[in-house]
This record gives sequence, C-alpha cells and structure tokens, in this order.
Amino acid sequence: MTRDGIRLVKTVPAVLLASLLGAAPMHAQSLFNAAGLGTPVEALDGRARALGSVGIGLPGRSIMPTDPGGLARLGISTGIMAASPSWVDYTAPGDRSGSFQGNRFPLMAIGYPVVGGMASIQIGSFLDQTYEVTSVGEADLGDGPVRTTDLFTQDGSVSNVNLGFSRPLGQRFSAGLTVGRYAGSLDRTLERTYGEEDEAGNIDTYVESGVWAWTGWSLTAGGSADFENLRVAASVQLPSALDGNASDETRGSDRSFSLPVQYRMGATVTVGPSILVHGSAVLADWSDAQDDLTDSFASTGNGFGLGVELSRARLLGRDAPLRFGFRRVGLPFALQDESVTERTFSGGFGLVLNESAGVVLAGLDMSIERGLRSSANLTENFWRATLSLMTSGF
Amino acid sequence: MATGCEEQTPVAPDDGALPGAPITVTVNIPWNDFASNLEVFGGYGSAEDIGQGVLAEDFAGTLDARTLLRFGAYPRIATVQDTTGASRPDSTLTILGGRFVAFFDTIESTNTAPVTLALGATTEAWDQTTVSWDFAVDTINDQRPWTEVGGGLVNPVAQATWDPSAGDTAVFVLDSAQVAAWADTTDLSVGARLDILDPGERLALSTAVLRLDARPSSNPDTIIELTAATRGSTFIYSPFPQPPPDGVRIGGAPSWRTILDIGVPSVIDGIPDFCAVVSCPHTLIPGEISYAALVLTSRATEAAFQPTDSIRLDVRPVLNRSAMPKSPLGVSLIVSPFGRTVQPEAFGAAPGVEIEIPFTGYARDRLRGTDTSGNPTPETLALLSVIEPFSIAFASFEGPLSAAEPYLRLVLTIGPPVELP
Repeated sequence: MTRDGIRLVKTVPAVLLASLLGAAPMHAQSLFNAAGLGTPVEALDGRARALGSVGIGLPGRSIMPTDPGGLARLGISTGIMAASPSWVDYTAPGDRSGSFQGNRFPLMAIGYPVVGGMASIQIGSFLDQTYEVTSVGEADLGDGPVRTTDLFTQDGSVSNVNLGFSRPLGQRFSAGLTVGRYAGSLDRTLERTYGEEDEAGNIDTYVESGVWAWTGWSLTAGGSADFENLRVAASVQLPSALDGNASDETRGSDRSFSLPVQYRMGATVTVGPSILVHGSAVLADWSDAQDDLTDSFASTGNGFGLGVELSRARLLGRDAPLRFGFRRVGLPFALQDESVTERTFSGGFGLVLNESAGVVLAGLDMSIERGLRSSANLTENFWRATLSLMTSGF
Repeated sequence: MATGCEEQTPVAPDDGALPGAPITVTVNIPWNDFASNLEVFGGYGSAEDIGQGVLAEDFAGTLDARTLLRFGAYPRIATVQDTTGASRPDSTLTILGGRFVAFFDTIESTNTAPVTLALGATTEAWDQTTVSWDFAVDTINDQRPWTEVGGGLVNPVAQATWDPSAGDTAVFVLDSAQVAAWADTTDLSVGARLDILDPGERLALSTAVLRLDARPSSNPDTIIELTAATRGSTFIYSPFPQPPPDGVRIGGAPSWRTILDIGVPSVIDGIPDFCAVVSCPHTLIPGEISYAALVLTSRATEAAFQPTDSIRLDVRPVLNRSAMPKSPLGVSLIVSPFGRTVQPEAFGAAPGVEIEIPFTGYARDRLRGTDTSGNPTPETLALLSVIEPFSIAFASFEGPLSAAEPYLRLVLTIGPPVELP
C-alpha cells in the first residue's frame, strides 16, 4: 500500500460519514420533473451506469440499495459515493429550445460486516422534482393593461434513507433485507409580478407558496445466486404511500401518493476469459398514482438494460475494465396522456486505485451516457457522467 | 467536471406546467366600508420653522401677511488693503450706512408686475416662535397682544419696489442710525417688519440680508461692503383659517393634519364587478393585497391659501389616537422620501383630481392585525405634509360627506392555494 493509498483509505470514510449526516441536495436534471411527482433518479454507481444496468445482478462489489442480496458478497467494510453531473439540451414545438446543466449525488453508502453478514446505511436519490416555469400575460387594473409575469418554482426531491442487512446462505446464495424511509421536502412557489421586466412598480409581487415534507417507508428484499459463470439476482421493493405533509404556514393540504411495488432482476454471465455480459430489468407500474394526481398522467416505469464488460483492460498499469451498455426505461409521469421513455447508450471504465492481496481497497468507476428523453411536445438530449468512488477495508 | 457543479434550474418551455394561475382584480371600497372618524388638527410647527417669509395685502380679498426679521451680529473685523497695498485685518470699522436686500421666490410669489414694499423697525418685544397677527408673545402664562394687530407700531424705514421681471431682489437704502439700531441683538423689540403695500398679491420671501458700508481705519479713503445675515425670521398673517367642517386638509403653517381610522374589510361582497370574477363573499387574506391606496379627490383650497408650488403628501400611522393632537406618529408608509407629489393646480384652477396615496404594506398588516414583527397595527392614519410646516399654503380634499368621498383602491391577486401535483 502506498503512502497516498493509505491517506485515501483513511479520508474517504470520513467524507462518507459527513455526507450521511447531512444529506447532499439533489438537483434537477430534466424538464420532465414538472410532471407528477417528478423524474426517478436511481441510486446507481458508475459501473451500473456504464453497463446500462437497473442496479441488480452485477458481480463483484455492489452496495446499491436495489440489490440487497449482492450486499452480502462485499465481505469487508466498504463505502461508496457517487456524483452525477448532466448537460441537457431540449427542444419543444414553436422553435423553443435551450439547455441547462446540473449535478447530483445519487448514492452514498457504507457497508460493514456484522454477525456473519453485512449491515449497511445507504442514502439514495429517488425522485427529482426541481423545475420552474414562467408565463407572461396582462391584467387590466383600471388604468389600462399591465404586464403580468407568473413564475412558478418547484424546488425539492425525494430521497431514500435505508438500513439493510444481508448475509450469505451457503456458498452460492445470499439474501438481504433493507428498510428504507423516504425523506426530503418540496417547496412550491407561485409569484406574480406586475410591470415590465426590471421596472420597479408600486404593485407588490403576489406570492403563494407551500412547503411539504415527504415521508414514507419501504421494504426491499432480495437474493442472489452465484454459479460457475453466472450471477443472478432479484429484489422486490414494497413501499408505503408517499405522504406529503404541509408545513404550518402552507395553505395547501396534505396529500398521499401511491407508490408501485418495484421488481428487479438481473444476471451477469461470463462468456469468455475476460468478457462479462450483463442484463437487468425493472417492473414498476406507477399507474395507481394516477388517482392521486391532479394535472399530470402516470404510466409504467418498466425498463431494461444490457451491457458488456471487458475485464482485462488496463490503464496506467492498473486494472481498468471497459464497459458499454444500453438502457431503456419508461418515465412514470408525463404532462400529457402518453408514455415517455429514456434511452441511453453508455460507456465507461473502472480503475483500481489500491489493491492488496487481491482485495481492491480503493477504486473508481466512471461512465458517460448519451441519452434521449422524448414525448410528443418535448425532447431532451443529454450527456450524463457518473463517477463513483469505492473504498474498502477501513 | 467543474462546469458540472454549476446548478441551473430547468425552465419548462411552456405554461403547461404552471399550476393554478391567479386572477387580478381591482376593487374600490367606499368610505363607509373602510374608514371612519375623520378629524383635522392644526397647529403643528411654527411659521418660523419654514425659514421664509410671506407678504400679502388683501390677497384673494382676505389675506394679510407680514414678515418679521432679526439680524445677527455685524461683522467686527475685515481684511482690507491698507494705504501701502498690503492686506491685513482691520477691527476698527466705521459703519456708514447700508442696504436691506430682500430675495423673493419668483415661483411661489403671485405677482407678475412691480409691487411696492415697506420696511419698518419694530418697536415692541416679540417672540419669534410664538408671534402671531394678534399676539407679540403667546406662550404659556405669557400672552402679550400687539398694541396694534399685525406686528404693532413700527417706525417706517424705507420703501422699495420689486419688479419680478427685473430680478428676484428688492433693495431698501438704510442710513447709519437705522443700521446702528438693528445692531442690538439683546433687545427683543429690535427687528424689521416687511410689508407689501399693493393689494391683491402674495409674495414669498426667500431670505434677506443687510449689506453694510464700512470705512476701515487702515484705509479711510476706501469703502468696503460687509454682509450681516438674519438671525431669524417668521411671518404673521390674518385671517387664520378655521378647520374645515367636511374635508381633508394637509399642510399650511402652522401645519394641518388629517387623521382617520382605517379598517380593511376582511370580507368582500356585493361589488358586482368583483363578484363577477370571484366567488362572493370572498374572505380576503393579506397576501392577496398587491396594492392598496387611499384615493382622495382634490378640491379648491381657500384662494388665500392655494398652493403655488407642488405639495408633498405623507401618510403615517398614529400610534395613540387618544393622545391626539400630540400622539407620536410611526414611520412614513410612502416609499419615496419626497412623499406623494401633487401639482398645485389640483387645489386651484383644476380641482377634482384623484390622488392615490399608496399604503400596501400597512393595508396587509391592518387586515392581519399585526405587522410582520407581531406588533399590533395602528388603526389610525395621519395625512400630513412631508415637511411640517412647508408653506402657508395647504392642500384640500373632499371629505366623507362629499359625492367624491375618499375611497380605498385595492388591487387583489387571488389564486388557489398551491397544492401538491
């Protein structure tokens, strides 16, 4: 272990712990956040992103909340943190287009060996809800028309804090259980200003806002099995309703939204001495939430992903597996009665930073995705990078 | 990666994602539904505070006004060139005579033709702060009327003509005896009274000075001019206006204030235009008030006291109405430090102008009952001049009994509560 390696191993867990105590904000990355409860943001690491995975069935180290069974294979204490910036260009009818960018931290987690298994604390993103919209009109105040500008701002997200435990069952099997709590808040504000832009008038701005705290529970059970050249895994997430509780100053009411049971399954097969092929799928029917929504539409969030990993690639004298993938996932909410899908092509690599006796003590995984989200009236082309840093043995 | 850390909130390209757009509606609330107990109080400040004088003789058939002045100590030393041409201070000055120079405000003065002015020396002790047309001194336990109303008997000093087309000054020639008499700063009867002799005009005196001709001992062949400023000035006038029985009065010297109780209605109903777009009765909440203003309709002020320059109105909360007229006032509700400016024609040639005095924040607090700090909101407002006193002229508005009574103008923005999607 190098001197730098020691410093890295000692420092990163402290950063992870600090992040766990003060959950980092997760910011918007799509205009589809305006629909329903927002856009799902999966708590995936760089390897899963590069392979087009939905977060289950990957061999090796995995500490994602979507794969409780895989957690048991860690064996030693492990921490991970992922960052995911994205750059989005959008087009809409009427020659309207633009771009924006943002960053989020979709996954922070620590696993530690306990009583023959692995216990974990995971903070993952779940729904991204931030967006704003502006509408310009006129109002007649008796002295002629006055320009009005309505600015609606929605700022918030739903995250998921999980406590999990997983343990091996024999040589081939493992099982895990995760209890999660939904957290986060949503601040919705509508402002109407009067007069021309940058022109201070004597009519005050109208402000109507509300703040809701998100609460809810989830239970995720999963298992995985390892065979000679094959790993298979499956999980099911049973959520409670997602409750939005209004603050005391909020005129709006409390609401409750149905969340779907989410089934995930994945498998990875070794087809050659250095080639892994991965496939995974998610089934989630969000349509039950339709009855809870007032101005948007809910559909299914099913999806699948395929990927391949070339494990013998090296970079700078270190193992640096190359990965490629494709993914297609439905977005659960839309502003119109239609289905919206997200399709991505991805590539990436892993890099072992520190290894001892065959155990990787520090490594990073990087992915770049080129994706498309499209509906009848809105198309988003985006680049999304995901960088995750994993450390072990602390 | 560095640019990836910059957060930009995505802006939806159309208003399909804009929930619950509000409506904007204007409502005029009649006097009886929002205000009561209008009263006019006078006597705030003194004409002395203005620092200007007023002259009038039978102006508008009624107003007589005269200005009283006192002079400060004359200069005792001056730097002069002696007979050798060297400049040095000379404290042995012989005052030979001088001139009383009066500077007039050509805008506020009503005359366009030359007028004749008379300068006299007062002979009775007078108190600069409390002096009035009838009384030379009018303080607590000391009320002394003039022997002759209007400033008492004076010793005539000089006359002069002021032609506004020729300039803004009038010059009175003084002999050395009068100059010497006005040098006494300890005798309260010493002072000057300036009158206008021609009837039908009202003049505004900006300031006055004494120009003194002096001979320095170091160069007796030379006459130098020294300046002595006034130590104070005030004006007295008659008749003193009576409080209006049915209207709003603001300004004057001493100043007038109008106070009224305000109650922003919590429920709006029975207004057809409003109820056509909003479900009535509508319970108003403070956040819905985007604009609130008291709307007053100007009316002609008594001719003698009509403004000739802009009037600046202010509105302040009355912190304790029961203590009126001495109640302290809160901070101004008008954002501009210059108040609400009204052109003088609104109170003379072109009355009937609606003047809005905005107090949006106060209206919200009044409806809520407390301000944003939780303090109770005063229910009484005072309408007054930004500077008290500012001018002998005052503003007049229609009162509650008039067809053009004051009303409350509200611009309301009404929308549903923001809900979850």
